[in-house]
Amino acid sequence: MNLPPPDSPYFSPEETMPRERLEELQLELLLDLLPYAYEHAPVIREAWDAAGVTPREIKTLDDFRERVPFVDKDALRRFRDDRGDPFGGLCAIPPAELTAINSTSGTTGDPTLVPEKWGAGGTPAVITRDFWGMGVRPGDHVALVLFTFRGPIYGLFQGLGTVPVLFDFDPSEMARFCELSRRYRPTALYNFGSVLVHAVRDACERFGIDPVDVFSSYKGVVFAGEPLGPRARALAQEWGVQLFEHTSVGDVTAAFECTMHDGLHFWEDTAFVECVEPDGRTPVADGERGELVATTLFNRTAPLVRYRSDDIVRVTRRPCGCGRTHARMWPIGRKGDEVVVQGRSVLPVDLWAAVESIDACAMGLFQVVRSSRETDVLRLRVGYASAWEGKLDVVADEVRGAVEGATGLVPEVELVPDARLLRLGPPHKIPRVARR
Amino acid sequence: MSGPGSVLWGVGCYDDGARRVPWEISHEEIQRAMGAAKTELEQLGIGAGSRVLFCSMLSEAGHFWPLMIGAMLAGAQQSCADANAGEATRVAMFTRLIDFDAVFGVTPALLDGLDELGVTYAEVFGRVRIVGARPGAYERLVEAGLAPHHFVLAGPAVALAREPGGPARADTREWRFDVDGDVVCVTSLRPRATTFERARTAVRGEIVDGGIVPSAWKEQ
Repeated sequence: MNLPPPDSPYFSPEETMPRERLEELQLELLLDLLPYAYEHAPVIREAWDAAGVTPREIKTLDDFRERVPFVDKDALRRFRDDRGDPFGGLCAIPPAELTAINSTSGTTGDPTLVPEKWGAGGTPAVITRDFWGMGVRPGDHVALVLFTFRGPIYGLFQGLGTVPVLFDFDPSEMARFCELSRRYRPTALYNFGSVLVHAVRDACERFGIDPVDVFSSYKGVVFAGEPLGPRARALAQEWGVQLFEHTSVGDVTAAFECTMHDGLHFWEDTAFVECVEPDGRTPVADGERGELVATTLFNRTAPLVRYRSDDIVRVTRRPCGCGRTHARMWPIGRKGDEVVVQGRSVLPVDLWAAVESIDACAMGLFQVVRSSRETDVLRLRVGYASAWEGKLDVVADEVRGAVEGATGLVPEVELVPDARLLRLGPPHKIPRVARR
Repeated sequence: MSGPGSVLWGVGCYDDGARRVPWEISHEEIQRAMGAAKTELEQLGIGAGSRVLFCSMLSEAGHFWPLMIGAMLAGAQQSCADANAGEATRVAMFTRLIDFDAVFGVTPALLDGLDELGVTYAEVFGRVRIVGARPGAYERLVEAGLAPHHFVLAGPAVALAREPGGPARADTREWRFDVDGDVVCVTSLRPRATTFERARTAVRGEIVDGGIVPSAWKEQ
């Protein structure tokens, strides 16, 4: 890997490519990928055939937006179940050529398989650009607090010349995290979450450690999976932590905040991203709320084309103060997580701060329990810390009051130990909606 | 995979029976371990066309990465899952959809998760030719009528049995095992970023023909 000069704010020249050139590049990459995906990925071919479209008809980005059919996770699961194809019709190379078969997080249901061919080349250094932008440099230590189901992500950090310090994504690891942060002085942490923030606070209290010292070397702390609630965010700010939000972009690429903290950049030389009306196909205006739809520009093993992510986001292509020209997004929630109570739309994000404001529920673990999207009663399953075991009536009253204050709705509340909800996770996030 | 200018591959972690100990790992020792893992896996019949599922935690990447690359070098395809109760859904999904030749690293926590899901161990692992189970999981799989191989993380060393019930062996050029009472100790034999001299591990058992036969499992 060729590294830029250490004082360069950017890892690669593509980050500041003029938008006109960026869109030319996207068209070039799309026109190369679409015939390949149609030819080799059965679920894509099925969708295009059903829509009566062929790759030859797509010559411009407008053609693409107007004519190419969408696919979604249900389409992949349906293809998998109907055809007995474990890859849901997405694997575009002979299965014998795969090096790995991993899986999605499974937050919204059964995880789906992700076919991979390592060493295939041509993959832009997505995460590398983002960590370089935070100030991470070769020779640094980087704390990785992750799961394994996405495969060996640590290789990206070793490729940058950094030394990963490896932790499980588990609250019980946070005492060790504090100890090793003070020993190795890492410059970045990937990846944090509300549950871990509270676990760090507990570990520091138990062992008499100053959390400001723990984080003194960190230039960036990345959180992902779920929003960081106000209580956890306030703790992190108290410790002097510079937080960077991170999210997946429709299982196609990734997005990270830059040092401007004004939206999450996704790299448009890796994906063609659209933001459309959640129940339609019309693009929403720049900055308006819509569903994220993503198309890979480089993945020839599992080429997702016009993949409806179910994620509700805002996207802008206005210039960013950091100088990068690539678009930014703001995650809002999942389309499938919306519940309509007495005609009022409620998303988990509308409940987060209210639940987290209760001391017993500081980890912000809760689920909306529903039997259908529209319901008369808001039913919540809310996690509590074990220390509150004897005072659950009080806790339930507090939750009801806080949620009513936030939404105007008085919920039915079922309290369960935090540990029970944590076990539902992949583990950096839990399903926020559960079937009744 | 080697990083520019960095001697260390990473900082992993192992269990010495009393605590989780940080463990500095060099690129060179990882490279050696990959080659040894390829040979060991090939001796188990894993090669082109095989599919292998690794159940591990990220802090164990120093143990598992050489196995994963060893499997790839042998021509096998691999999949990953965490080795905790919450990942039981993923492991059950994997073995339902894919014919695995081997699953390595099964833990008691993973089996707890399968119990909670209400699926039997035979449903999940019955079609898998080699099930490498850690102490505590091994006994439960045997009780369920399966024939697992011992799979042991003995401190920083990975030991794997070549046949069901047989002792779990590590690369004898790299590691030597002995016991202090019934606690398995490990000594490193070649240059490493971290040297081990009769280092205590969380594993209890006896040494048979240079390999480990675990006798009990200590709840962490």
